[in-house]
Amino acid sequence: MGFLHRHRGLTPYLLLAPGMLWLSIFFLVPLGFLAYQSLQSGSIDFGYAFTWAWGNYWDAIRSYRGQFERSILYAGIATVLALVLSYPVAYWIAFRGGRWKNLLLLFIVAPFFVTYLIRTLAWETILSDNGLVVRTLDHLHLLGVLGSNGRVLSTATAVVAGITYNFLPFMALPLYVSLEQIDQSLIEAAQDLYASKWKAFLRVTLPLSLPGVVAGTLLTFIPAAGDFINAQLLGSPKNHMIGNVIESKYKELLDYPAAASMSFVLMATILAAVLIYARAVGTEKLTG
Amino acid sequence: MTDQLTRRELLQRAAAGSAVLTLPGLLAACGGTSKAGAGSTTSHKLAKTLHFSNWTLYIDKKGNRHPSLDQFQKQFGVHVDYTEDINDNASFFSKIQPALSSGQSTGRDLIVMTDNSRYPSLLIKKGWAEKLDKSAIPNIKNLIPQQQHPNWDPNRDYSLPWQSGMTGIGYNEQLTEPVLSMGELLGNKKLKGKVGLLSEFADTLALVMAANGDDPSKVTDQTFNRAIATIKKAVNSGQVRQFYGNDYSGALAKGDLVATMAWSGDIVQLQADNKHLKWNLPDTGGDIWTDNMLIPKGGNVYTASVYMNFVYEPKIAAEIEDYVNYICPVTGAKQALEKIDPSVANNTLIFPTKKMLDNVHIIDATALNNEKYQTAWQNLISA
Amino acid sequence: MTTVEATLPAPRSRLGPLARAWAFARHHLLSLYSLLFFAYLLLPIGVVIAFSFNNPKGRFNYTWQGFTFKNWSQWNGVPGLTSALWLSLEIALVASLVATVLGTLVALALVRYRFRGRGATNLLVFLPLSTPEIVLGASLLTLFLQVKFALGFISILIAHIMFCISFAVVTVKARLIGFDRHLEEAAMDLGANEWTTFQKVTLPLIAPAILAALLLCFAISIDDFVVTYFNAGNRVTFPIFVWGAARVATPPQINVIGTAIFVVAVTAMLGNVILQRRREVRA
Repeated sequence: MGFLHRHRGLTPYLLLAPGMLWLSIFFLVPLGFLAYQSLQSGSIDFGYAFTWAWGNYWDAIRSYRGQFERSILYAGIATVLALVLSYPVAYWIAFRGGRWKNLLLLFIVAPFFVTYLIRTLAWETILSDNGLVVRTLDHLHLLGVLGSNGRVLSTATAVVAGITYNFLPFMALPLYVSLEQIDQSLIEAAQDLYASKWKAFLRVTLPLSLPGVVAGTLLTFIPAAGDFINAQLLGSPKNHMIGNVIESKYKELLDYPAAASMSFVLMATILAAVLIYARAVGTEKLTG
Repeated sequence: MTDQLTRRELLQRAAAGSAVLTLPGLLAACGGTSKAGAGSTTSHKLAKTLHFSNWTLYIDKKGNRHPSLDQFQKQFGVHVDYTEDINDNASFFSKIQPALSSGQSTGRDLIVMTDNSRYPSLLIKKGWAEKLDKSAIPNIKNLIPQQQHPNWDPNRDYSLPWQSGMTGIGYNEQLTEPVLSMGELLGNKKLKGKVGLLSEFADTLALVMAANGDDPSKVTDQTFNRAIATIKKAVNSGQVRQFYGNDYSGALAKGDLVATMAWSGDIVQLQADNKHLKWNLPDTGGDIWTDNMLIPKGGNVYTASVYMNFVYEPKIAAEIEDYVNYICPVTGAKQALEKIDPSVANNTLIFPTKKMLDNVHIIDATALNNEKYQTAWQNLISA
Repeated sequence: MTTVEATLPAPRSRLGPLARAWAFARHHLLSLYSLLFFAYLLLPIGVVIAFSFNNPKGRFNYTWQGFTFKNWSQWNGVPGLTSALWLSLEIALVASLVATVLGTLVALALVRYRFRGRGATNLLVFLPLSTPEIVLGASLLTLFLQVKFALGFISILIAHIMFCISFAVVTVKARLIGFDRHLEEAAMDLGANEWTTFQKVTLPLIAPAILAALLLCFAISIDDFVVTYFNAGNRVTFPIFVWGAARVATPPQINVIGTAIFVVAVTAMLGNVILQRRREVRA
């Protein structure tokens, strides 16, 4: 430790080294392969060769704009929904959870233990045209809210709902983590200071939990924009996202360069969205 | 790490950038080298182990064992390393493709892929499948006649069927009048939004083309476009709910689908719980698909061939069939099964009648590997 | 500053009875909402549990056919399922531990220190999150093939740690930002060295974040299908088994095992709470 004291400048690099080395070798190097692949041309029959085929990128943007936009839209709505749904619960666990906090946290991630497919099959049972939800709406003569289809499954609503549900823990846990460290006495002081609890919340609690909001929205939005399973299992052919296109380019069409270049376009789109967001909430909050 | 880099490997690494050149040592140090693979061999010596990748729950079982594999080990002294890691053709192909295209062994001697996908013919075309050692497979004579000459492997030099299934129309007779034609499936307004099609290109295309009066075994631009137009119309009108993989079976069981394109084997299972589910070949014909055993490049040809010969014994085939319940490609298995389990032997979805077999098409394999067609299809189902 | 115990808002005499009633209602409104939220979250689990007692005659466990204990007594009756489960549990346990440790260190560096390359580091943390799984899995496989690395347990583990790190970094960072540095400075002023300060002050303060990161990584790891499939060689994890089985069957034993993991995890956590309580009572 004496060494560290004398070379304080080194400490951050030592802390970073194991994690960053791991990501460099097992993520960045493969990403290099992917970049190389994205500039290839050819076909599966005759093989692919590197030709600086920048056209792949142009094709990706031109041909699949709709799916790109849909991905950003669905992921955006799902992120906002997840935030609104899970903030009160994260707050409740953080301030009222007491000794049950950890157990409650476990309940938040528990649905993941049963595997995506089984979870989705369960949702299909619940949302099915003859299932609980649709029948209840029918009894209440509320089927009209479902639109002309009269169904929940195989609609854009189901896709967004599926994404929201499946990404809730990514939102709730960071929110909890940052809410939990807020000093209760600070909130009480604020409640004494401001006329209403609500105002106290807006002026004190919310700003203090902002790091959690930022972390949660990023952990939800970024992976959600690349998701394809929800659209595949819960959507109709008109709800497919860019993740579905990349899947089919890679697996069915065996057009590896197209899949690679579309992935980069997707990453760039997501990073651009994140940057705009970072500007809006203040960069310092985002990068710490 | 091999000590000597081949020229090809060297070129690949150089192309991938200098970062890679320093990595092998690093990784090799922490993980060791990959096992040498079974190694392609034409010698008539059995390997100790047969690495066999198959679809999940696709072989006989008793408790936690697979009796037919135990029997094989007892008879030939070859342990079968049986892995159920094939989920769907496309995913499995994308998993083994990187190894095959870089000239490495996949670590498997035997795999099973479906001929209604593009992959079996592609494996052969790319030289990624080994030729069978037919001298070790005298039982090939038991292959049913309808399966002897598929156009992607006309003499069965590379492949032998494991199981087959038929694609037809499944419906719930409590919720609809019988749906016996594709015209009705895609046009009957009473079924709107309750109709499923399969995302498997070959299945949907074959049935629709047959319904259009075209020949699915010879796809032309004209007949292909006609089929696409027919499907597009049904999708745009809202008739079709979704293109399904194997998840259509749940939707049919739960009533989200009233009528759907369906695989015969699934219906056998679904009927056990709901006797109102019916399955028929459409009046204009269904299609038949076959899961084929193939030896990927680098697999042990002799050992795999001996195993193929083993499962083509009618008695063994019957044992496997009794659990699997798809369509058995082995002549004599039906007779063998009549002694063990007559209800299975007499089920026409498992041992179809000749009339049924005459009413099924096999899709044109060249169309499956036509990029233009594949792109049009993917754009249709993933709009 | 200790962790906040369940405290009701301090009674404030200034408030009239009406306002107090309103405050009481609102207090319970939040609790009620939270209960509803958990009900929603656990609804599919309920269905999964219910269907673990289903008695289908065919091989698909889709519609209710009758009650049975058979699937539980024969939980081991599906070849390959239990070995797949154990593999998944081992991987998830090790991967979440390693990823959380690495991620926590990175988060500490990012929040605590000003150094050259912070921007690049942040980018490297966010990039894996935005890479579509299929190309992530495929290009990692390319790397393993290039160096002739044997696919199996280790390669799955490497992949899982790789995609978990970012989640851990972001979660722990959410705690470290807005963290009161004065406590640490005070400890240092009192003569504690950097390591002691970390152990005695920093670690307890970020413990909830570390637990959250662990849970998150465990959940992501045990649920992953795409990346795992590419890099698993011929090993079969629980998700690979389930996705594979779906073509020909959905044995209720899948539900049994899903339920069992859930019950075991909850019981372990519950036991922990009770144990802690006893210790507190004794103290």
